Amino acid sequence: MSDSREKDEIKRLVRADSHIQKIVGEYGLDCFPQEFDVIPAQKMLEIMSYNLPVNYSHWSFGRDYEKQRTQYEYSGGIPYEVVLNSNPSRAFLMKTNPYPIQVLVMAHVYGHNDFMKNNIYFGRTRRDMLTSASESAGRLRKYEEDYGIDEVERLIDAAQAIQMHIEADLFQESAIEPESSEPKRRPPKVGTPFGDLFDFDGQLNVKSFEEKREEARKLKKKIPAEPDPDMMGFIMRHSPRGFEEWELDVLSVIRDQSIYFMPQRKTKVMNEGWASFWHMRLMSRLFQDGFLTPEEHGFYNLYNARVLASNPFGLNPYLLGIKTFLNIEKRYNAGQFGPEWERSESPDKWKMDLNMGKGMEKVFEVRRTHMDWFFLDEFMNHEVVEDSELYIFGSKQQGNVEEFTVEEKNWSTIKDLIVRSFAHSGVPLIKVTDGDYGGKRELFLKHFYDGLTLEEEYARQTLRHVHTLWDRPVHLETVEAEGNSETSIQLTYDGKGFSKVNLGTYVAQ
Amino acid sequence: MTVRQMDWDFSKRGQEDVARHQKKIKDSIRENIADVISEESIISRKKGQTVKIPIRGIKSYQFIYGKRKGGEGGGGYGLGHGKKDKGDVIGRRPAPNGEGQGPGKGGKPADAAGEDYMETEVDIEELIQMMMDDLQLPDLRRKEIAETLVPSGWSFEEVEKHGLKPNLDKKRSFRNALKRSADSVSKLSEKTGKPMDICQKALNKFKGDYQKALELLQRENPEAELEDEEDKLKPYIQHGDLRYRVPKENVESHSNAVILAMMDVSGSMSTTKKYLARSFFFWMVEFLKHKYRNVEIRFIAHTSEAKLVDEEEFFHKGESGGTTCASAYDLACQLIDTDYPPAKWNIYAFHFSDGEDWDPAKTMVSVKRLLERNPNMVGYGEIRTEVAYGQQLMRNFEESFSLERYTSYRDSDFEYYLGQRAEMPLAGVILKNKGHVYPALKVFFSKEKKV
Repeated sequence: MSDSREKDEIKRLVRADSHIQKIVGEYGLDCFPQEFDVIPAQKMLEIMSYNLPVNYSHWSFGRDYEKQRTQYEYSGGIPYEVVLNSNPSRAFLMKTNPYPIQVLVMAHVYGHNDFMKNNIYFGRTRRDMLTSASESAGRLRKYEEDYGIDEVERLIDAAQAIQMHIEADLFQESAIEPESSEPKRRPPKVGTPFGDLFDFDGQLNVKSFEEKREEARKLKKKIPAEPDPDMMGFIMRHSPRGFEEWELDVLSVIRDQSIYFMPQRKTKVMNEGWASFWHMRLMSRLFQDGFLTPEEHGFYNLYNARVLASNPFGLNPYLLGIKTFLNIEKRYNAGQFGPEWERSESPDKWKMDLNMGKGMEKVFEVRRTHMDWFFLDEFMNHEVVEDSELYIFGSKQQGNVEEFTVEEKNWSTIKDLIVRSFAHSGVPLIKVTDGDYGGKRELFLKHFYDGLTLEEEYARQTLRHVHTLWDRPVHLETVEAEGNSETSIQLTYDGKGFSKVNLGTYVAQ
Repeated sequence: MTVRQMDWDFSKRGQEDVARHQKKIKDSIRENIADVISEESIISRKKGQTVKIPIRGIKSYQFIYGKRKGGEGGGGYGLGHGKKDKGDVIGRRPAPNGEGQGPGKGGKPADAAGEDYMETEVDIEELIQMMMDDLQLPDLRRKEIAETLVPSGWSFEEVEKHGLKPNLDKKRSFRNALKRSADSVSKLSEKTGKPMDICQKALNKFKGDYQKALELLQRENPEAELEDEEDKLKPYIQHGDLRYRVPKENVESHSNAVILAMMDVSGSMSTTKKYLARSFFFWMVEFLKHKYRNVEIRFIAHTSEAKLVDEEEFFHKGESGGTTCASAYDLACQLIDTDYPPAKWNIYAFHFSDGEDWDPAKTMVSVKRLLERNPNMVGYGEIRTEVAYGQQLMRNFEESFSLERYTSYRDSDFEYYLGQRAEMPLAGVILKNKGHVYPALKVFFSKEKKV
């Protein structure tokens, strides 16, 4: 593309953007200021694999980049969208995409922007992560020089293995506060992004663990007193290994990023559903207002259909999200809500129309107060399941061929499975129940089983990583299921090998 | 302006991370080399030196939910979208193989996320290099090719100034003399300023005596005395012109190896069992190619009788009949005698069977005959992919040749047997699974008679 054409294209995007801003205001969306950067494809793929425009170095990002690139090369143009939770909101457009796709992405991004500004789970995330990540990338590079790339990598590997286990209690406000820059507590020492891990005199909290340990032993209590879902924080504070400053910094960087991305993990379906709900409206308006030619509008329709396409082998969060929001809007416009309506067993209640026009009000409310787990639990009904054509498939072997067939269309069975897998944002709930197991400073983790078992090989390898951080034997209590029987087991890794103890079997009648 | 162009490109750090991941893949191949080299895709590759092999992906481990089990079909299950009714087939793929070692056991179709294995491309040469490092074999690429020198009759290629009269090289002596005469004429002409034909006449007059010819030419008017002489160049043989031929024994250099691949092809040798042998022979050939310029492989299939077959028949066709292993060893001896004289060929003979033999005593006699032919290596591999019952020919090898038995627990209980004397290039291995192919190669390479 020639320079002047590029400039013309940018000008056209700027015009479309200011028009979108105008309509967005009319529709009542409440956004942060929005910035768009048009970047080369390679950089886009890099941001997608590193999660942020600049991030610390790790082989797993290199692996993801290669995966992204292969996908991109095979599929050709994809309306990639990357929008960062920051203020001002920053989003990226891929230079190689044609105008109608750029506009689609822009419209979609405004939906995310509104969502991230207003959804309560985003309320306490740090909006300065971009700067922070770029600074920590510099520090980690320095550690690689000082302590060796292998040493740093080992720590990052281990930290990433447990980064999802930060704080799973959604009703505690501290859940979404970054551990490392909490202003209400004592001010962190200059230059240490993990000041709160230190006592006032600069001693690591390990000492206080010793004190707590004595106390707890006298009272015959465990540490932690209550099972602690914040495995990573617990290990950082109490590991018998005793971390050096730089090690705590590395752990903090990974923990802070995980906390930063947590609201996005918890609201994937809603966030994408909301953004799609709005981009479709915004695009129609842009077409009506002459910002898209009929040809470009046709092109948009094609890509929009791809975004909302049915995936025969997986859940499409865009599709499920928008169908749920549309269903809420429809029901509340028609007056299909309220205790009386809920209680009614008449099939006619789904056809009732009181023309109450409460739909828009309700979807705005839901986008503020819900996250996926509760959103799907509350609003996924038989209509949503049928509209998004959901099914459960199974596989069986037929001679030399493995065959996949639709096994379940019953909406409540499907809903049950989906809601269960969205509990705790899809991360198995595992809590630290004892940091002094057997009085030997061994770590005991308990998986709070809810009908879904752990992948054993992954559990084993992750335990190894936990051991790297704890440096004493680590135990995991979980459940294995086979047919109707469920067996409680304790898996132990002591640094050399694994052992497994059967804690009892339960057979359903 | 809220839309702006940024010409960032993929960062240097990103490239480093890609390289770091690539290195981890290589390390993973190295660590799992025993599994990797027995991959079916390697030996069944169409052509070219690169192969795609599934390796355990370099994964980011976390606590995750397991593959869901317990659908009607008993396999895994998942969620999907589409206009489908209960019972509709939404996809098919080749079933994961029954051996439980391949990728994609159960679970989702390949296009879904969460595969435990990923495919990567490797160069066969790179794999060989990794194995050589692991086997602590010297880098054969940089080392001289192994050569054998073989006498090939007599010839007179060199000549000397002294020798026996019958060996006098007349032609060469004559030529020397002629050359010396011509030199003398030029020198005379240079010294005296007389034309060449006059000088030639002078030399001829004194039958090649340079001094006398010079004296004459330096006198007044020598032309008068030389009128009757010929001006033709003639050889005047002197003692220094004589050359004698030296008889010499000739030696040829050879770099040949032959693999005599012997295998029981009776009904009890299943495809899986033959596969192990095939994988072994594939790598044996690749290794020897690094050592010898010319590597041949001959296939001897046997039931109760042995015959020479081609590769396709050897690995893919089964036959009914009994099992007499001796027949294969006898045919191997015969082949050596006719086609592969040990003086010119490095001989590697390997026999694979499942242990069954109708006449083990006879087989042992034939093995001895083969060993007498001075091969580099005789190897016997007993394939026991099932729990072994019945006859085990390895026992006879063990007793007849006083082999010592070893077990490598590191290589999933790999058992092998070695001849105790250095000059006994005989080894036996028990192959129970794919993972045993690699340690078997190791055993044979450490036992091989040094060339």
